Amino acid sequence: MKRSNEPVAWGLFGAGGMLLALVGPGLVVATGFLLPFAEPAAAFHAVDALIAHPLGKLLLLAAIALPLYHTVHRLHHGLQELHAPLPHGLVALLCYGSATVLTIASASWLLVR
Amino acid sequence: MTRKPYRAPQRWSWWLKNPAYRRYLLREATALPLFIYALVLVTGLYRYTQGQLAFTRWLEALQAPGWLVFHAVAVAACVLHAATWIELVPKLLVVPGISGRSIKRGHQVAALIGSALVLGAALVSWPLAGGAS
Repeated sequence: MKRSNEPVAWGLFGAGGMLLALVGPGLVVATGFLLPFAEPAAAFHAVDALIAHPLGKLLLLAAIALPLYHTVHRLHHGLQELHAPLPHGLVALLCYGSATVLTIASASWLLVR
Repeated sequence: MTRKPYRAPQRWSWWLKNPAYRRYLLREATALPLFIYALVLVTGLYRYTQGQLAFTRWLEALQAPGWLVFHAVAVAACVLHAATWIELVPKLLVVPGISGRSIKRGHQVAALIGSALVLGAALVSWPLAGGAS
């Protein structure tokens, strides 16, 4: 029998759900309402300093990748539960595939600094 | 595995009639604004790699009323997500000697502290320019 990928997907889903529960509301207020109205040069240098530090890179990657995997997992299962007339395998590929591509892209952008 | 499992017919609108099902789907729907929010963060990181000017353009774009409304929706979705997620934690995390209620309380306190820490760090490192620039 084919081995299921579900435990891996659920592990990332769970980690993303916990991250969003513990720091999510603060994070959205910070980047959605505070960052855009900060002094632009100071905002850039603060983000630059965060990304310059290895731990900062790791935190940012976690803040991007885990919520991505969490949300695509819920969207994927939600579409199934609503009986969306879409091929199941294709939806799964698009969901987890986009999360993986964006995670790799983000990691590479973080590493160029 | 059955070769031809029977699948009971179900309409797409099965969740509309029962308030518990509606709450369940609302909880699942929090994923949509939060997914878009993650895309916003990815865009910001990409604009950062293009340099300070591009990053500043991204910040200015986020000052648009549409994005402010979106972020308000995202905050509400995230708070709903956090509340319902922590409600479920005691069912998944069973520690002998610690009651489910204590585990839930602990996570609620951790979430308040966690979000406050992120906000505090943001306020310290990003001096507000006093409105749109």
